Amino acid sequence: MKLTTFLLLAFIIPVSASTYAQKITLSAKNAELIRIFDQISDQSGYDFIVTASMLRNANKVNINVKNAALQSVLEEVFKNQPLEFSIENKSVLIKKKSPDFIDDLINRFQEINVRGKVVDEKELPLPGATIRVKGTKKQVLSNSDGIFNLSNVDDDAVLVISFLGYQNKEVAVGENMGLIKLTEQTGQLEEVTVSTGYQNLPKERVTGSFSSIPAKKLEQQRLSSLSSLLEGRIPGYNNGLIRGTTSMRGGTTPLYVVDGMPVENTRISSNGSLTENIPGLNLEDIESITVLKDAAAASIYGARASNGVIVIVTKKPKQGKPQISVSSTFTLSDNTVYRDNLTSAADIVDLEREWEANNSNLRGTGAAAYAANILTNVGYQSQGIKAILAKYAGTMNQAELDAKLNQLASAGYQYYDDVEKYSKRSPFYQQYNVNLGTANEHNSFYSSLTYRNNKFEDKYNDDESLGLNINNTTRFNKWLTLELSNYFSYSGTTTQTYNTLSPQYSFLPYDRLVNEDGTNFTSTAASRLSANTMTLINNNGLYSQDITALDEQGRNLGKSKNFTNRSYAKVNADLTNWLSYKSTFQYEFNSDRFNTLYDKNSYYVRNRVNSFATKVGTGPVVFNLPYGNINYDQNQFTNSYNFRQQLNVDKTFGNKHNLTAIAGTEIRNTKLEYAHDYLYNYDPMVLTFDLLNAKNLASLQGPVLGGGYFSNSDIAGRSEVVNRFVSFYGNAAYSYDSKYLFTGSLRWDRSNLWGTSSKYQDQPIWSLGAGWNIYKESFFDVSWVDVLKLRVSQGIGGNIAKDYAPFMTANYSSNNNVGGLQGSIGTRPNPLLSWEKTTTTNAGVDFAIFGNRISGSLDYYNKKGKDLLASTMGVPTEGFGYSTYAINNGEMTNNGIELSLSADVIRTNDLTWNTSLQYAHNKNKVTYVNVEAPVYYLQLDYPQAYPRIGNPYNSIYSYQWAGLNADGLPQVYNEKGEKVLNSPATLESIVYSGSTVPTYSGSFNNLLEYKNFSFSFLLTFEGGHKMRNTFLPVLGSAYNGALGGYVTQITAVNNDIVNRWRTAGDENRTDIPRLVFAEDPAYNSQSAEIYQKADINVIDASNIRMRNISLAYRLPKPIVKKAGLENVRFQFNVENAFTIAASKEAKYLLNGYRPANFVWGVYLNF
Amino acid sequence: MFSLSSCKKFLDIIPKGDKIPTTLTDYEAMIRDEYGNQRTTITQAILLLNDKFETSANLNYYPLYTANYFWNEAADRIALNNSDETTYYNAYTAISTSNLLIEHVPESTDGTPEAKAEVVAQAKVLRALNYYVLANYYADTYEESNAATKLSVPLILSADINAPYTQVTIKELYDFMLKDIDEAIPSLKATSATALHPNLGAAHALKARIFLTMGRYNDALASANQALTFNDKLFDWTQFYATYKTQIEQPDVYTNAPSPMGFDFVENYYFRHGSSYSSGRESAIRTDRATRFETGDARFASRWKLRTVAADTYFTSITIGFFNYGGLTTTEVYLVKAECQARLHDVPGAMNTLNAVRVKRIFPANYTALSAANTVDAVKLIQRTKSNELINNITTFADRRRLNKDPNYATTMTKTENNQNYSLSPSSHLWTMPFPQGAFKNPGNGTITQNVDK
Repeated sequence: MKLTTFLLLAFIIPVSASTYAQKITLSAKNAELIRIFDQISDQSGYDFIVTASMLRNANKVNINVKNAALQSVLEEVFKNQPLEFSIENKSVLIKKKSPDFIDDLINRFQEINVRGKVVDEKELPLPGATIRVKGTKKQVLSNSDGIFNLSNVDDDAVLVISFLGYQNKEVAVGENMGLIKLTEQTGQLEEVTVSTGYQNLPKERVTGSFSSIPAKKLEQQRLSSLSSLLEGRIPGYNNGLIRGTTSMRGGTTPLYVVDGMPVENTRISSNGSLTENIPGLNLEDIESITVLKDAAAASIYGARASNGVIVIVTKKPKQGKPQISVSSTFTLSDNTVYRDNLTSAADIVDLEREWEANNSNLRGTGAAAYAANILTNVGYQSQGIKAILAKYAGTMNQAELDAKLNQLASAGYQYYDDVEKYSKRSPFYQQYNVNLGTANEHNSFYSSLTYRNNKFEDKYNDDESLGLNINNTTRFNKWLTLELSNYFSYSGTTTQTYNTLSPQYSFLPYDRLVNEDGTNFTSTAASRLSANTMTLINNNGLYSQDITALDEQGRNLGKSKNFTNRSYAKVNADLTNWLSYKSTFQYEFNSDRFNTLYDKNSYYVRNRVNSFATKVGTGPVVFNLPYGNINYDQNQFTNSYNFRQQLNVDKTFGNKHNLTAIAGTEIRNTKLEYAHDYLYNYDPMVLTFDLLNAKNLASLQGPVLGGGYFSNSDIAGRSEVVNRFVSFYGNAAYSYDSKYLFTGSLRWDRSNLWGTSSKYQDQPIWSLGAGWNIYKESFFDVSWVDVLKLRVSQGIGGNIAKDYAPFMTANYSSNNNVGGLQGSIGTRPNPLLSWEKTTTTNAGVDFAIFGNRISGSLDYYNKKGKDLLASTMGVPTEGFGYSTYAINNGEMTNNGIELSLSADVIRTNDLTWNTSLQYAHNKNKVTYVNVEAPVYYLQLDYPQAYPRIGNPYNSIYSYQWAGLNADGLPQVYNEKGEKVLNSPATLESIVYSGSTVPTYSGSFNNLLEYKNFSFSFLLTFEGGHKMRNTFLPVLGSAYNGALGGYVTQITAVNNDIVNRWRTAGDENRTDIPRLVFAEDPAYNSQSAEIYQKADINVIDASNIRMRNISLAYRLPKPIVKKAGLENVRFQFNVENAFTIAASKEAKYLLNGYRPANFVWGVYLNF
Repeated sequence: MFSLSSCKKFLDIIPKGDKIPTTLTDYEAMIRDEYGNQRTTITQAILLLNDKFETSANLNYYPLYTANYFWNEAADRIALNNSDETTYYNAYTAISTSNLLIEHVPESTDGTPEAKAEVVAQAKVLRALNYYVLANYYADTYEESNAATKLSVPLILSADINAPYTQVTIKELYDFMLKDIDEAIPSLKATSATALHPNLGAAHALKARIFLTMGRYNDALASANQALTFNDKLFDWTQFYATYKTQIEQPDVYTNAPSPMGFDFVENYYFRHGSSYSSGRESAIRTDRATRFETGDARFASRWKLRTVAADTYFTSITIGFFNYGGLTTTEVYLVKAECQARLHDVPGAMNTLNAVRVKRIFPANYTALSAANTVDAVKLIQRTKSNELINNITTFADRRRLNKDPNYATTMTKTENNQNYSLSPSSHLWTMPFPQGAFKNPGNGTITQNVDK
C-alpha cells in the first residue's frame, strides 16, 4: 500500500512566460480541470498550485468565454467544483472547499430516503441485488422480494444497481423509485472474464485466442456428453480436435482442465496401449467452458499445450438464499437395423444362381462327386448353395431346388427383421440431477448429484452412473480462503459380448433367428463343420459346437464397475491487495473393475474346452482345460497427484498501468496399473476353481481339433505406466490505459518421458502477445462500434507421446516351449527423444456493433509443428525392417481462419431472436518427414505411417480408376498411364485423393424466444474432406478353412450390385465389376483390391447435421411463485434429427440413417 | 521447494514391463525368442521345388507364387517381389540379434567369462546359419570357379542404427560363415541350455553342411563324423507308425498325432522352426511329389494322408505340433556323410550310412538294404532319401542348386497341370531369388545389387 503514496505528492505546474493576455478566451466541453488551468496559465501567465489528490475529485468543465477577466473566468470554472481558489502574487492557489455550517444544513435538508424494487425483465424480483450510491461506500442488498430501502441519500445522487448475470444499471435517486428493471447479460462479448485454469483474466485484457460456450447455450440441449456440448459451439473444434491434427505419433486430444487443474483420464488397455478419455464430471455443474486455442492462451500448459486446452469451470453459488435446481430428462429412440441399401434375399439368391452358372466344376462328369465332396466338407454354409449342390449331388431334383430357392428369395430381409425383433430394443436414457448451493460472506457451499441410466439398443447393453460433487469454500478472514472439493462417481456397465449381426457363423438375409415354431434357431455344428471334424467331435466325446444365437446373446456379459474420485484443496492467501499466493493439491483416483463370467453353456466355453482336448496314440481323450465356467477379472487403478504453488500479481498504478503476473511450480505424477486374471472351472456360488497345468496347455501334444492358443495372458497379465513431470512457469500481462496490451509466458518442463539430452531439457516453451482496444482510443469516435480489438500472438506449445522412452528396451515373456524367459528388442535407444513443438502465430479481431447487437471475432492462425515424432523406416538389412520407429523428425503445418458471429436480430420485450454462425477453415500440410512406404500397399493401407510431404497428414491415397475392361474386370492406371488389371505395385501409381479431416466446418445456431416459449436449433456442417467408401457393391473374399483357401463370400452388400457388369458392353454403362467367384480363372485378390482402392471409391464426406432442436416452455412466474418455485421449464429436444450427405453411401457410413433421439426434460429451480 | 537433484531423482524412474538389458540372462533370453530369432521361412524355394500343394486361390492371390510355381521364366520376379519378404527380413532380424549379443554380452554384468563366451559362440553359429539360408536363396550356389567374383548377400556385423555393410562375394561370405563357426567351437559345449541354443554337435553339423555345399568333401566328412560323436541317434518312424496305426488308417478320418519332430526330437542337434513358429500341421504335399517317396516309407505314411476337398486332391498333414525344419538333425549329417563317402569313392561305406537311416524309415516288409555300382548311382540314391527326409528344408533346395551345376546330376523338372506341360531347366535363373523390394529400396548404409535379372 505504501507503494502508491509517492503518487500523491504535490506537483506544481510551473509556467513562465513573457507576454500575457489580460483577457481570457476559452471554450471547452467536458474538459479536465487541469487542462483548463493549463490554458488559462498560457494566456494569463499565472501559475496554478494544486495537488494531484485534489484534482481527483474535480468535476469536468464546460465553459465558453470570450475576452473575459481572469477573476470571472476562474469563478465560472470553480462554480461546480469541490474546490476554491485564491490569487496571490501571480499565482492561483487551490484548496479544498471547507463546507460551512449553512452548507451542511442545506445538505442535510437535501438528503432523502429511497425505496425501490429490483426486478428482472419479466418483472420478477431479484433478491440479493446490490444497490450502491455512486461515488460512496453506501450500499444495501435487496431483500427476498427484491425490495430495498436506503436512508439519507443526496437528492442528486445516482444509484448503481448490480446483480450477477445482469447488466449494471445507473439511475438517479427518487423517494419512491418503483420497479428497477435489470436486463440479463447475453452474448459472448459481455462475458467478464476468461479462465485459463491458472488465472482468470478480464476478456478485454487478453491477447490470446479464446472461445467460450455461454451458459445459456448449454441450456438448449441434453447434457449427454462433454463432446456433444463442444461440437458446433466452438469454431475450430471438430471431432475432438482443436485446429486440426498437430501430431503424428503423439496424442492429438486436447488437454482438459477442470476448476484450474488438468485432468487426464488415461487408461491402459490389455495390450498395453494407452487411451485418453474425457474427464468425468457432472455436466450440470458446468458454469463455463473456455477453449484455449493459440499459444498466448495455451502455452502456459507447456509440454501438453499444442493440441489446445479445454478449461471447464464449475458453478459457484451466489450469495443470498439457497439455490436449488432439479432436472430430469427422458430420451427415447427407435431401434432399427438399417437395411435399405443392402441386398435382399432375392438379390442373394440371384448371386447364388450366378455362382452356380459360373462354376465350371459343376459341368461334366466330376460334377456330382465335386458337389457331394463340398457338402461333406461343408465348403459353403449358405442354404442356397447347399441346395444347389444337393441337386448336383443327386439328393434334390430341379423342381425341389427351384421351390427351395424361390422360398428363400421371397424372404426379403427376414434375418434383419428377426434381429430387430428379438435382439434389439428401443434405447431409453434417463438422467436426473439435483444441485444446491448456498453462500454467505464467510462460506460458500455447492453440491450436486447426477444419476443416469441408459438402456442401449442391444438387449443386454446398459449402464448406470451416479456422480456426486461437493465443493466448499471458506473465507477465514480478509486474506485467507480455503476451497475443498470432491467429485465421486460410481458407475456400472453391462456389455453384451455376443452380437447377432456377427453370430460366429455366416448368415444371409433369408436366414432366421427363430424357427417357425417360435423356438430359438440353432446353427448346428454339422451345418458348419466338415464330416471329418464331426467324426472327431463325436468319436472323442467332445462338447457340442452348436450355436443358438438368441441364447448366446445373454451369456458372457461384460460387467464393469468404476469408481472415480477427484479431490482438491486450494489455499488462497491475499498477501496484499495486489499480491496473492495460491497453492493447490489435487489427487485423482480411478478404480475400474471388469468381470466376465464365461458361462459353461456358452459356445465360447464349449469351443475353447474342445480346442484343448488331446489324444495321444490310442490313449484316452484328455480335456486339458477343465469344462466349466471361466471367470475373467480385470482390475485397473489409476492415481495421479498434482501439486501447484503460484504467486499472483494484479496491480494497477497511475490509473493507467496494469500489471498481472503469475509465477509458479508444478509437479505431477500419474501411475496406471493394470492386472487381469482368469479362473477356470469357476463356481460363482461356492467360489471354487481348478488349478491348471498351464505349461501343458501352452504346448499341447496331439490336440484333437488342431489346438487352441494358450499363453501367459490366459492366466494373468500385469502392466504399469508411470509419467512424471516437473514444471516451472510464469507469465505477465501489462496493459496501458486498458488500450494497449502486452503478454508473455515462459515454461520449463521436465519429464521421465523424454531423453537426457540437455539440448531439449532446458529449452523453454514461451509465448508473446499484444492487443489493442481500438474502441477505447479518444480518436476513435464511431458511435455504432461498441467494441473493436486487435490481437496478435506467437508462441510454442508442446506435445508428448506417453509411450515412448529414450532407452534401448527389451520386452520379456516366458517361453513355454523350452522354458526360461524370452526377450526381444522393443525400442532402439533414442537419447534425443523430446517433446514435440508447435509454434502458433495468431491474429484476431473482436468486435461488437450497433449497441452490441452484432458481435463476433475473426482469427487467423498458423501452427508450425517441429520435432514431431515421425516414422522412420527400419532398415531390413540392419534387422529392423519390420519396425518403423519414431524419432523427433517430422514437420507439419496447420493454418486457417475462424469466424464467429452473433446477432440479436430482434430484441423486444416479448420477442427475441438471436442467430449465430461459426465457421472454421483448416489446412493441414506435412512439410517434412523422412520416410517412404517400402511397399506400395503400405501407402494405401497405412497412409499415416507414410505421410507424403506437401499433402495433409490424414490423407487417403488411391489408384486412378480406368473403368471396367471388356470382360467387366476393374482396371486402374499404372505409373505410365496404362490400364492394368492387377495392382500396379509402384508408389508412383498411387495418388492423393483427399484428406479425411474437414477443411471447413461450422455451425448455425438460432434461438427464438417469445414470452415463455423458446425455440432453438443447432445445425453443424463440415466439408472439403473425403472418406473411403467401404460399403461397396462387390463380394468380398475370406479364408475358408474347409476348402483350404480364399473364396468369394456371398454376403449382404450394397444393393447397387444389381447394376453390375453382366454382358459385354456393360463397361460403358457401369463401374461395378462383374461377379468373380473363387472357382473362376479370373479370381484374383488384386482385382478386388484395385477396385476397393480406386479413387472412384473415395467419396465426398461433406455433411450437414441437424444436431439439436429444442422447444422450451417456462411456466409463468406468478404460478411458479405460488408453488414456491423460482423457475419451471419444460423442454422437448430432437437430437440428430437428420443428416444430409453427398451420397447415400456417405450418409450410410456417417451413420446418417440412425433414428433421431427424442428428449423430454423438466427443469426446476427453487 | 525442489532441489535440482531431487528433481532428477523424481524423474529418473525406469519403466516397468520393459527392461534395459544389462545382465547375461537378459541377453541370453534373446536366443529363446522363437518368433524373432528361431524361424526360417523359404516360401519361394519350396514353391519352386513343387513339393508343397498350393491352392489355386493362393496362387491367384500372389503373382510371385504363380511365377515360381509354374516356372515362368518370363515373369519379372523383381517387380513381383514387391513386399517385405519374410525370408529376408527374418534372417536379418536374427542376424541383428546375433550381432547385438556378440557386441554386448562380453560387457554384461553377471555370468562367468566362460558362460558369456558360450552365448557369444552360440550367436555366431546362429549368424552363420542365417547367412547360409540367405546365400542359398538370394545368391547363386557356391562354385569354386566363380565364388570370388559373384556377389552374395549384404554382410552386416553390427546391430547399430546406420551401421555400414558390404554385399560381399560368395567366397567371402562362405569364408565368413566358416570363420564364425571356428571361432565359436572352442567356447561351445556338448550340451546346451535348450534345443534352441546351438551346441558342439550343431556347430559341426552346420560346418558339414557348408563344406558339402562348397564341394569340400573331405572337410565335410570330417565335420559330419565330429557331429555324430555328439549325437548319432535316429528316430524310428516304423515304430511311430505302429503306435498310431489305427488312427492313421481310419478311412475318411484325418486325426492329428503329436509331431515327434519338436524340441525334444531325438535327432536334434539344434531346433529351429520353419515358417510357422507356433504349433500346427505341416504343409500338404502334391500327389505327384508323393510318388517320389520310397514304397513303404513310414515317415511319409505317418505324416501325410490322401484327401480330396472340392476340386483339390492332395496329401494332407496328419501330425500336429512343432517341426524342426530350420535346424540341424542327425539325419542330415548321416546323409552328408554318405554323400561325402560316395564322392570320396567309398561307395559301400556310403550305402551303409544311407541304409542306417533307411532302416528306421522303411517298413520291414518293404525294406531291402540298397547298394550302388558307382559314385553317381550312390549319390542319386542318397539324394532321393535326402530330398524326402529333408523336404521343405533349405538343404534340399541348396542340394538341388548344387547338383544342377554337375552334368551327372542335373535334372530338368517337369509337370503337367490343367493339361499344360511345364518344365524347369537346371540352368534356369529361377533357382536364384531376387531381393525383395522392401530391402532393395531401403538399403540403409550400403548398396544392394540384385543377383538375378528378373
